[in-house]
Amino acid sequence: MTRRGNVLDDSWYLDYAAGNLESEAHDVIMASHVALSDEARDRVRTLERVGAALMGQSGSAGAGLGFDVDDILRRDREVATETVPAPANDTHPDLPMPGPLTDWMNETGTRVKWSYLGPGLSKAILWRGPRGQRLWLLRAQPGVSIPQHGHSGSELTLVLKGSFWDGETQYRPGDLEEAHAGVEHDIRIDEAGECVCLALTEGKLRFENPLLKVFQLFTGL
Amino acid sequence: MTHDSERARPDAQARLFATLMGRVGADRDREAFSALFGHFAPRIRSFLINRRVTPALADDLTQDVMLAVWRRAASFDPSKAAVSTWIYTIARNLHIDHFRKSVRAGKMDEQDPILQPEPAPEAEELVSRSEDVDIVARALADLPADQKSVLELAFVEGLSHSEIATRLDLPLGTVKSRVRLAMTKLRLSLGEDA
Repeated sequence: MTRRGNVLDDSWYLDYAAGNLESEAHDVIMASHVALSDEARDRVRTLERVGAALMGQSGSAGAGLGFDVDDILRRDREVATETVPAPANDTHPDLPMPGPLTDWMNETGTRVKWSYLGPGLSKAILWRGPRGQRLWLLRAQPGVSIPQHGHSGSELTLVLKGSFWDGETQYRPGDLEEAHAGVEHDIRIDEAGECVCLALTEGKLRFENPLLKVFQLFTGL
Repeated sequence: MTHDSERARPDAQARLFATLMGRVGADRDREAFSALFGHFAPRIRSFLINRRVTPALADDLTQDVMLAVWRRAASFDPSKAAVSTWIYTIARNLHIDHFRKSVRAGKMDEQDPILQPEPAPEAEELVSRSEDVDIVARALADLPADQKSVLELAFVEGLSHSEIATRLDLPLGTVKSRVRLAMTKLRLSLGEDA
């Protein structure tokens, strides 16, 4: 019997829906997950209704506003219309990039630069955070295994294309896996095709095998 | 099951807002926009102030949100969300965008006071149940107090679930389980797939 890993703990959706995630990389990976996963979207929609209800109850009385509807219409004449980002995918036609990810890459001028990670594996680092967090793309050939490893911090992995297995649990496009700090896991890319994931990693990966520790020195993960 | 449940409930005000949005989207109807402005602008501003946005910035962001409502009205789809939910997401996103840009520009860091817990506002700020108390507010009222307060700390004060654990001096797992329990009940009472 196989299991399907698809959604995270509800506290993630609460942090996302309330706008309380820790960094822009968290915003991007969660927004991408929500864009791709119906189940995640349902949870977020429910919570956004809660947010709207609580905003509706936030004290509307008190001091009057210092501006009125005419100020908005004046702003409409004066402020340029928001530029709609050009479809950004042209440089990566082979990559299944969700809208929130391409929007963010355009806005920040982030480019995908692949580098070697291991046999059948490449990585492209997109962002580095102040506490050593990294947002990165992983591209893996069918059937490749990523040997047992742990994390000194937590890791979120969103499947963009193909699928992988963590033990008996399968992750498919739109699914987001959370690996907690200190938990060992062993990833196997499904045989059916290439797998591309967006990952947000805190801290270093820790491999059990001493040879892989050496290998890690070269890969920078 | 249904995103329609929100429309189908006998909530006259939600229907009125949807009608007004339709008039703004189709006809650039200023009177309809003015009615939406009168209801939402003060609430957006209070929401931002509760999140420790400065009054000047709250004015500015509120105007940006209402400008987005005016400009994007035609893209509002009443079958997907209530007007209040749609406007809430615009306010949240513009607020985050502003904050992230400031961080990128090096004007703020993670130690900024905006990210630090502060004493909870007095309950009176929350009790002024406005006329648009709808099904969601009733569902919230039915939650046990400890679950409801977690949601209020998240949305009203802008605390992440780990900041809530710190504020309430509770283990992270306890906060997570309150969120899960609240979600299970809300999804049941708000008629989404469980």
